[in-house]
Amino acid sequence: MGKRVYLSEQKICKAFGPTRALVDVDITISRGEVHGLIGENGSGKSTFSSIVAGAQPKDSGELYIEGKPYSPKNMIDAQDHGISMIVQEMNTIPTISVASNILIGRFEQFTKFGIVNFREINGQANHILQEIGAGDIKAEAMTYRLNFEDRKIVEIARAMVSDPDLLIVDETTTALAHKGRTILYKLIKKMQEENKCVIFISHDLDELMSVCNCVTILRDGHVIETLVGREITVQKMRRLMVGRELSDNYFRDDFDGSYSDEVVLDACNVTYGIIEKLNIQLHKGEILGLSGLSACGMHELGQVLFGINRTLTGKVTNCIADVEINDPVVAVANRMAYVSKERDKEGIIINATILDNITLPSYDLLSGTLGYISSKDEMNLTQRQIDVMRIKCHDAKQRVSELSGGNKQKIVFAKWLARDCDIYILDCPTRGIDVGVKAFMYQLIYRLKKEGKSIIMISEELPELIGMSDRIVLMKDGRISKEIMRSADVTEQALIEHII
Amino acid sequence: MNILEQKAKRKETLMDILPFAGLVLITVFFIIVTKGRILRIDNLANIVTSAFTIILVSCGAVFVYAHGGMDFSIGSTSGLAQFICIYMVMRLGFPLPIGILASVVVSVVACSTVGLSSILLNIHPFVASLCVKNITAGLLSLLTQKVGGQITLDYVRFKGFNSVGLKAVVLIVMIALGFYVFEKTKVGKIQKAISGNERTVTQAGINVKKYKLSAYMIMGFCVGIAAFFQMTRIGTVSSSSGSGLEFDIMIAMVLGGFPISGGSAAKFKQFILGGITMTILTNGLTMWGMDVSFVSFVKGLMFILIVSVSYDRSVMKQVSIIKL
Repeated sequence: MGKRVYLSEQKICKAFGPTRALVDVDITISRGEVHGLIGENGSGKSTFSSIVAGAQPKDSGELYIEGKPYSPKNMIDAQDHGISMIVQEMNTIPTISVASNILIGRFEQFTKFGIVNFREINGQANHILQEIGAGDIKAEAMTYRLNFEDRKIVEIARAMVSDPDLLIVDETTTALAHKGRTILYKLIKKMQEENKCVIFISHDLDELMSVCNCVTILRDGHVIETLVGREITVQKMRRLMVGRELSDNYFRDDFDGSYSDEVVLDACNVTYGIIEKLNIQLHKGEILGLSGLSACGMHELGQVLFGINRTLTGKVTNCIADVEINDPVVAVANRMAYVSKERDKEGIIINATILDNITLPSYDLLSGTLGYISSKDEMNLTQRQIDVMRIKCHDAKQRVSELSGGNKQKIVFAKWLARDCDIYILDCPTRGIDVGVKAFMYQLIYRLKKEGKSIIMISEELPELIGMSDRIVLMKDGRISKEIMRSADVTEQALIEHII
Repeated sequence: MNILEQKAKRKETLMDILPFAGLVLITVFFIIVTKGRILRIDNLANIVTSAFTIILVSCGAVFVYAHGGMDFSIGSTSGLAQFICIYMVMRLGFPLPIGILASVVVSVVACSTVGLSSILLNIHPFVASLCVKNITAGLLSLLTQKVGGQITLDYVRFKGFNSVGLKAVVLIVMIALGFYVFEKTKVGKIQKAISGNERTVTQAGINVKKYKLSAYMIMGFCVGIAAFFQMTRIGTVSSSSGSGLEFDIMIAMVLGGFPISGGSAAKFKQFILGGITMTILTNGLTMWGMDVSFVSFVKGLMFILIVSVSYDRSVMKQVSIIKL
């Protein structure tokens, strides 16, 4: 179609030990293209993009930029060639200013006689921030004062410093709420208009559909197919990713939003951070969806309900045991479970084994006379969860750091299932996991409801809440803005207006 | 990532074998250079008695180091405990069991102070223990001055406590108990988990503060018992009693391959093995004819050497850094 090819890759291979992460990958990216990359966890998306961005070397194959061989030595070299990447992980230094984070590695340009001109740096950084539409972030501010979303926006600004021809966005949107996404989408649009290119990696298929004009599906390191324009549909992408047709009841398929009248958890008049004098109740056998923008207070509310954060007014009561929840110790002792949004930072012990992680909340149940915990009991408990949750691993003694994101999340669930809890508080339970594992988690959550357990599902993804919840509570600026019961006619649009 | 994993696996196996190899190597080395004198019966008895203190304290210290804590005050604390015990028995005429009890109480209080100030006031345990070290060392020197420099104990009365048989029994009981609590109950398992990720442990409904404090208390108990036996062996208590113990423990830890920041790879046996290696090293150097002050020089050097060899750099590589 007369499009100029910007970057082409031929037969790129990369292996990590015995694992072949990329096998003969050929992808062509033309100017003016927003190229989506999708695949399950471990399919090779991030490996591919990090090779292009110079973060790690390829084993074999050739890269060409506008026909010329290209082989980046490191990320700076890649930037000099016009390729910039926003990575998946948090990658700012909290203890320096926003401007220093944006222009890090470029201080020589602002140095005269050994003195760094910080005024110039701040000016330049402010200019970049304004250009991407994030003028409300001040370059002079210390980075730790920003919330996580704004820090991610700082990273976006940093990627734009070199005015790249190709921008790689690696699962950045999971860390972004409405504001950040708007900025990013605008930026992508602008790059497209300027005839530049974007590689966009995400698990959110709807998002991919709206942002990209071409999507390549990877599975186990192989390119499965590249879809262009109208060919891109959620159904098709999902099928190609998993390699089989996923059944239609991805979410639960009933619209019987019924649950018992019995209140199991009652937050009365709670105040913490942005949340002020809020009341919320959870019933037996209920899936309660909680949503809003990421700064609306819903994540904090989840922590207050579990006793991690203590409310300043009112109290949280576990009505089954009739005790006040003011500490996770009390919460767990009264059969409550909490899945943190920050999986690696809070949910798991990354350098410990699967066994250590799954048995952790159950030590009191495993302890016999004189506190004896038998290795056999530990092993049985763990193995049962590995089987039930279908955790992919060598054995129970494998380190969690070696597992994929989806399997790590299964471990977080498994440690609570092993304890058999009554109330589950799930903060972004499907964050950063692929559709296969997501479907599994939805089935699991629904099964828990059927068993009479009560679930609070906090999520920024409205479709999954519409698909799963008996009742959806929407929050805005620390208050409840709307409550909606389960029905077939609830739409995303109808909910969004109560959030923003 | 898999290359990193393989490297980590290889390193793990290496770290499992290395401490044993080190013990054998050091033993053989000193048998050769001392022309077998290290194996003479009277010296072997010497090795057992000095290993006694280090291993006994190790049984408790393992809990503190496993959760990522540390204590640099146990040497002075041991000295103070020894003084209080001997003073109560020799000067105030209290019965012996009360003296032993006092020694244990002093140690538990001192170690708990380190624990509490680091847990409640959020001071790094290293700093907290330096403060406590100054307090206990200061008290000890003040008290010994008051009694004229040192107190000597009545040998006849304490003779029984110096028998190798009794020490062997105490040692076996303490090792068995330590192993049980550390490896087979939640008290030990939780210590390792805390070092791995404190937030995860808190959110699993476990009172982290309580378990951290219990580690310091267990260590205090062991220091107290060890202090009593050390006092009966040496026979006098002066302002320098107990000094150097904290460092010996740290070297024992690294010699045994115990991870310096604790975590799930921490094993009870590593600490005990390190204690034995450490004792043979100290004894061997002295038997070889090395000056006592030079022995500490060698120990300091060895510590840095072992840590530089065993420190897991792959952990640093996994930390996400700005890659620009």
